[in-house]
Amino acid sequence: MALIIDNKKLTDGIYLMRVSSNIQAPRPGQFVMLRPEGDGLFLARPISVMDWENGVWTFLYKVVGKGTEAMSRLESRDDIFMFGPMGNGFGRVLPLEKIRKAVLIGGGMGIAPMYGLAKALRKTGAHVKIHLGFTDEPILRKEFSDVADELVINVGGYVTDDVRFEQGPVYFACGPDPMMKAAARKAREAGAELIVSLESRMACGMGACLGCTIDTTKGSKRVCKDGPCFRYEEVTGLGK
Amino acid sequence: MKNPVIAASGTFGFGIEYEEYFDPTILGGVSSKGLTLRPSRGNAGIRVWETPMGMLNSIGLENPGVEHFVSHEALEMRKLGCAVIANLGGHSEEDYVTGAEMLNGCDIDILELNISCPNVKSGGMAFGTDPDQAADITSKVKAVTRHPLMVKLTPNAGDIVAVARACEEAGADGLSLINTVLGMAIDVRAEKAVFNNVYAGLSGPAIMPIALRMVHQVAHAVSIPVSGLGGISTAEDAIAFIMAGASTVQVGATTFRDPMAMVNIIKGLEEYAEKKSLKNIQDIRGIV
Ligand SMILES: Cc1cc2nc3c(=O)[nH]c(=O)nc-3n(C[C@H](O)[C@H](O)[C@H](O)COP(=O)(O)OP(=O)(O)OC[C@H]3O[C@@H](n4cnc5c(N)ncnc54)[C@H](O)[C@@H]3O)c2cc1C
Ligand SMILES: Cc1cc2nc3c(=O)[nH]c(=O)nc-3n(C[C@H](O)[C@H](O)[C@H](O)COP(=O)(O)O)c2cc1C
Ligand code: FES
Repeated sequence: MALIIDNKKLTDGIYLMRVSSNIQAPRPGQFVMLRPEGDGLFLARPISVMDWENGVWTFLYKVVGKGTEAMSRLESRDDIFMFGPMGNGFGRVLPLEKIRKAVLIGGGMGIAPMYGLAKALRKTGAHVKIHLGFTDEPILRKEFSDVADELVINVGGYVTDDVRFEQGPVYFACGPDPMMKAAARKAREAGAELIVSLESRMACGMGACLGCTIDTTKGSKRVCKDGPCFRYEEVTGLGK
Repeated sequence: MKNPVIAASGTFGFGIEYEEYFDPTILGGVSSKGLTLRPSRGNAGIRVWETPMGMLNSIGLENPGVEHFVSHEALEMRKLGCAVIANLGGHSEEDYVTGAEMLNGCDIDILELNISCPNVKSGGMAFGTDPDQAADITSKVKAVTRHPLMVKLTPNAGDIVAVARACEEAGADGLSLINTVLGMAIDVRAEKAVFNNVYAGLSGPAIMPIALRMVHQVAHAVSIPVSGLGGISTAEDAIAFIMAGASTVQVGATTFRDPMAMVNIIKGLEEYAEKKSLKNIQDIRGIV
């Protein structure tokens, strides 16, 4: 059980929610399962951890259906059912301490995990460039510029068009399918190192139901447990 | 078993996924993901879909195959410290018989014969909807297995009591019911079925009244133990199944909703037994 601290509307349908819970601290790129109580929802929803500080969890989400709609109605001091953190996180794919230069690409709600990642990378002294893509109104510009050495914002276009892929930096991407495909294509052409964070429909979020599996070069993998972070080359549909 | 609560097949992996949340040793038992003779990748496309107080799934028995299970997962499951149940599915009679023979090579407590999976194209549920076919497969597996045999029934049979009786006569040592109820979802915007297989299996609290009715009917018609499942999410639900005649209960989709659900159910059963001064929770079995 977790307690809502605040749940602010940033722009149409997009909310920033802070929750207090003393469950285990997350690693960058992990997510939690959230279920607003009392709305007849059966399953919890996977939501990325944008930020974590001393038991205060920050989530960024967009209202797209029943669950996120119920979430948007929560007010400060309401309860929310929460379990996690889940998933491997970026650092299990590639140790973050080893990265000297990183380029983070976030599109839509895929910007959320990039915030926590940028913060962690900055702590290890890496140079962090962040590219954010929005369809209309940009959000959280100030917050992201605080954790970036360079911040590039794209509105209404393709965020990947602004990114020069080359060997050397490590690239991270999270966002809608077309963005991920474009990033993978450019990374492949440049021979660049790219780590992606994927989405899939989930039931358990724990690795038990096999509802979220994807095909990879190493066989079937669970996005919730073996991912959500993968090297792009491994993921069927991105890698080849 | 130290208590009647079993993690249902396909909802608890091979027993270690929830270890961060609780020690599986406290469970009465764990039923493995449905195994098939050969490794299977399962179904493509969307596999899980939320419904009002339930969910549809079309996993399609993704599993490492019986051989891998015998040499790997079965050994891990033995360490769980609770009853180990291997759930065996199949596409043909030979699949089931060969699979059962191979499972003789491992240390499990119960073989659960899944003749009720709605998510595989051939075989699967087809064996569980017809009493004659169910009896045939039960007797053939019974003839080769060295493990106690529990047959898992489908609610999608025309007459589940007839199937249950047929399995009992064919030598089943126990029955478990119900597997998922055949359902469907349509993506109205895309104007097509959500699942590649069109139909999928419904589970969760939404199916509990159906499951309870069927357990009641079957438990009163056979004399072998019945393991009841379908939508159980609280200790009270579990008690209802025991009152309807179930010896054990299994918890499936509810674990996805709340990883601690089984822990709370076990605690709730103990508290109930204490409050009612029952020596054993089995004292209320079949009282309704
Ligand atoms: C690892 C991971 C991290 C995510 N992080 C965020 C985030 O930080 N912010 C954010 O806004 N969204 C995030 N999502 C997507 C978010 O989970 C879905 O938008 C949300 O589940 C939709 O729920 P709903 O009830 O509003 O929609 P409905 O369409 O009513 O949901 C019905 C069912 O489908 C599932 N579902 C629907 N869309 C998705 C989707 N895109 N991905 C996974 N499951 C889906 C729901 O969980 C639910 O079980 C993430 C998804 C994953 C897998
Ligand atoms: C995701 C999922 C996977 C399942 N896989 C199997 C399986 O492999 N073998 C089997 O016998 N039953 C399987 N089942 C059925 C459950 O074991 C159980 O019979 C059914 O879900 C009803 O119980 P519940 O409402 O408590 O979930 C599965 C159910 C779900 C939700
Ligand atoms: S959501 Fe259940 S295995 Fe990934």
